[in-house]
Amino acid sequence: MADYDAVVIGAGLGGITSASLLAKNGMKTLILEQSDLVGGCCSTFESQGYKFDVGASIVEIVHPMDKFFALMGRKREDYIELLPCDPIYSFVTQDGRRFSYPTDIEATTRVIESIAPEDVEGWKRFSKLGLEMVDEMMDAMMTSPMNTLGEVAAMAAKNPKVARYLPLLVRNHQSVVRSYYKNPIILGSVAFQSYFAGAPPELGSGIFGFIALSEHLGIYYPRGGMISIPQGMLKAGREHGLEVRTGCKVERLILDGRRARGVILEDGSEITADVVISNVNAKVTYLKMVGPENLPGWAVRAIDSYRLSMPCPMIYVGLDKKPDLDAHHTVVSGSIEEMNRVWNLYYTKGVIPRTAMSLICWPTEADPSLAPEGRHILNFLCNAPAPYAPLGDNWDRLKDWYREEAVRELERTVMPDVRDHIDYLEVSTPLDFERRLLSPQGAIYGLFSDLTSLALFRPHARSRVIRGLYLTGSSTHLGGGVPTTIASGIITSNYVLKDRG
Amino acid sequence: MDGKLVKRLFKVGALAGLVALYFSLDESTRRYLVHIGKQVPYLPYRYFI
Ligand SMILES: Cc1cc2nc3c(=O)[nH]c(=O)nc-3n(C[C@H](O)[C@H](O)[C@H](O)COP(=O)(O)OP(=O)(O)OC[C@H]3O[C@@H](n4cnc5c(N)ncnc54)[C@H](O)[C@@H]3O)c2cc1C
Repeated sequence: MADYDAVVIGAGLGGITSASLLAKNGMKTLILEQSDLVGGCCSTFESQGYKFDVGASIVEIVHPMDKFFALMGRKREDYIELLPCDPIYSFVTQDGRRFSYPTDIEATTRVIESIAPEDVEGWKRFSKLGLEMVDEMMDAMMTSPMNTLGEVAAMAAKNPKVARYLPLLVRNHQSVVRSYYKNPIILGSVAFQSYFAGAPPELGSGIFGFIALSEHLGIYYPRGGMISIPQGMLKAGREHGLEVRTGCKVERLILDGRRARGVILEDGSEITADVVISNVNAKVTYLKMVGPENLPGWAVRAIDSYRLSMPCPMIYVGLDKKPDLDAHHTVVSGSIEEMNRVWNLYYTKGVIPRTAMSLICWPTEADPSLAPEGRHILNFLCNAPAPYAPLGDNWDRLKDWYREEAVRELERTVMPDVRDHIDYLEVSTPLDFERRLLSPQGAIYGLFSDLTSLALFRPHARSRVIRGLYLTGSSTHLGGGVPTTIASGIITSNYVLKDRG
Repeated sequence: MDGKLVKRLFKVGALAGLVALYFSLDESTRRYLVHIGKQVPYLPYRYFI
């Protein structure tokens, strides 16, 4: 008899969601996490009295999280306190202009009117369609399995209105937003979200154009930092007997032909299980943990063909004064052309861009307890995206230079006196990120997301090559993001439970 | 004109139309189409993984 009914590799959101749901359904389940912290990209670490978020800085679309707690027979409010962040963003344009988008749609109309009256009508059409899409499709889009044509057909039969939104999937992000807006400032403010899916506006799927609308349903920060989300979810899982071991790295899968039978840990010990769920990058799962020698040639070709998602350096700043910011998130935005240019002429050529887009997150605005009394935190994504392998150099050597660049960018854009108020500063380069989370090449959203690597064409939640192996997290259907990876965990657990009968 | 020739002319015309359409697009849209086009051969493999 196996040691466990299910072993889950990785305590990211997808892993925690699927493991907790299996435990709730009576399966003896163990999560193995290589780091000392849970949550992966959605986590928080402590240094010198400051609590910095590793990656994710807000959650929007709380539907999958609420669904998870409902399936666990619990209420989210009893486990995670979500603090609303309003305005959604404050924007700083390259020429220094500042404006904010509030959550309220009517109030946003007035902001758009003050900048570009010609785009008010477009915003009204955009928000009407977006709200209808949310109403009609949210549950179907977020938690339906879409691994086979049959499943997609079943979802479409149940939700015939999906046909209305298909063109958005096929068009690119920029063509969708351009069909609503003309003003370059407004366009910049709704196009940069394509980077939230890991692609520039010219390559990202048009459906991501509506992230700029879903944000108006509310964006939230969990009290205690982003780690409160995985911790709250794990608490619910543990109440149903879920076990978790941190500091425990999985090296390989135990295979019996093309059947997964458990895992081999870094120290050589083995844990057997009827089901193995991998929450680590699908490329690592198949090419390292299973091994190409155990896969048919076509499967190696399939998994090899995926590009990794982009990496992105993070700068964690502790300040001895309150920053002069207007919102939890400040976006230093550029034009659509600039965003594409940075991707084509810098990122893909291995050059670190000097100007592009920065996201400055101010979590102590929502939760002052994250920093020592009177101090503040800025989590700064500087000039995203940046290449994993800078041409002719290496991130370890570039770290000091990059730290200076980041400070200069903060001085230039939002805080001219920042240098005098820095109490703590740490740079996490793509190499650091890879070391921290074993995410290959520091990929922040698993695999690159475009039309050809979504849904049916993303690695499946139930492996079709290795029996007993299931995948979850950002490299499976729905891609990177807090709500999407929780949704992927729900989908994966449904497959496991269905297969066990 | 025989049927074969008509068919061939039709194919050449369609191809020329597609090429003209491609070159009438802006550079960014062309990059999108080329990018997607390069991925298409992998789709049958990806569908089964
Ligand atoms: C910089 C950044 C900013 C982001 N901002 C946002 C945001 O604001 N809002 C939002 O919704 N989303 C955001 N995201 C995306 C979101 O955080 C992620 O998509 C999501 O948290 C990923 O969840 P996952 O289930 O894929 O697991 P991951 O977070 O990828 O976790 C995988 C886990 O597996 C562990 N692991 C790896 N290898 C092994 C091994 N061999 N053995 C054992 N354990 C292993 C890792 O340590 C890790 O804990 C951001 C991501 C990043 C990186």
